[in-house]
Amino acid sequence: MFNPLRSAGGEDSTARLRVLADEELMQLVYRGNAAAFEVIYDRHADAAFSLAYRMCGQRALAEDVVQEAFLSLWRSGARYDRNRGSVRTWTLGIVHNRAIDALRRRNVRERGIVDSEGIEERIPARERTELEFARKDEAREIRDALEQLPEEQSRVIELAYFGGLTHVQIASMLEMPVGTIKGRMRLGLAKMRMTLGDPAEVLQ
Amino acid sequence: MSDEELPEMHSGCGEDAAPYVLGALTDEEHKAFLAHLDSCAICRDEVAALQGVVSALPASVAQLSAPDEIKRRVMGTVNSEAGLRGGGAPVTRRRAARGRGLGRLGLLAPAGALAAVVLAVVLLSSGGSGSGTRVIRAQVTVPRASVSVSLSGGHAQLNLARMPQSPPDHVYEVWVKRGGAPQPTDALFTVSSAGSATVGVPGSVTGVKEILVTAEPTGGSKVPTSTPVIVANLT
Repeated sequence: MFNPLRSAGGEDSTARLRVLADEELMQLVYRGNAAAFEVIYDRHADAAFSLAYRMCGQRALAEDVVQEAFLSLWRSGARYDRNRGSVRTWTLGIVHNRAIDALRRRNVRERGIVDSEGIEERIPARERTELEFARKDEAREIRDALEQLPEEQSRVIELAYFGGLTHVQIASMLEMPVGTIKGRMRLGLAKMRMTLGDPAEVLQ
Repeated sequence: MSDEELPEMHSGCGEDAAPYVLGALTDEEHKAFLAHLDSCAICRDEVAALQGVVSALPASVAQLSAPDEIKRRVMGTVNSEAGLRGGGAPVTRRRAARGRGLGRLGLLAPAGALAAVVLAVVLLSSGGSGSGTRVIRAQVTVPRASVSVSLSGGHAQLNLARMPQSPPDHVYEVWVKRGGAPQPTDALFTVSSAGSATVGVPGSVTGVKEILVTAEPTGGSKVPTSTPVIVANLT
């Protein structure tokens, strides 16, 4: 019986790798299996690019962030700990950190208007799976929860998470005490948690 | 909830959990908070409670297609490194394109420039950017591209800017030349979308006269299969 965890090689194994869970694939990635890594890439690259593009607002910069993040994932697969969340959450966490680094390095701060040249929002037909539909539903719920927050709370969350700004920079920008900014972040996230329950579990 | 309803928190405790999970602490604050987490159950609980919400935020953005170019660059590097690591992965193609010559990369530079680089003596500049570091500007065949080599403590690092992408199914490979034929190194790389890369030359460069870079099939080559696009003379 074929065991892809033992039989890592062979082009015909690629299709079989695609039925494995992310966590099983990460065991192979840790051993240097590029085909397993490619499956992980295919599953999460769109989400990674979407986040990077939302944060960076520039296609080239977002591409570099995603490239750096996935190469980091490839080279540090051993650091993945399934007890601390899904591979998708871990991957997007790497993307988020890389994007923050890029934003702070390049001091790109213009947010709000994102150049969408050459990029179309879409879910390809091949990904119209039950999981993708579930993710779309959850995404809508999360957007709704964010939009339902008082504007002063959603704004600091977006400036921090998607804008890559520190609370000190946000306080300076909004001309408010840092304690107020921290409080708004906390209140906003707590309120979203009450609205959503535990969204992370649903989106694994 | 409004600002007026903000629950009272312990002084200095718990208040950094929200900016922490949002990635909004400064570097110094981040380090201090990580250390604080080791000994504070209140903050650990607060972080755990808020982390799930923050982990869900990426799903709220418009879902886009990742450009194919990213995958090509990422997998080019991954397949090369898998080959070097001896990983059991089915590398797409390794050492399979002997005799391709310049491949498509040759189209990126004028023929004259390519011919010139083989005989060119590298421009030497000086530099000293600090204690014991020497910076050499390398000869590059690609118009507008810029490559420098930082030498320090017997080691070298290539700093590339505005380099074109390696051709499909190819990566850049670094070679060292001590007098005879160029010797391959484990340094295979691709460049960012902006054409930048920072590449350490493996091992000591003591006795190395030239550092070369060529475009090679994914997985690298044992002997160069194309004309160098970068030549750095260390003598």
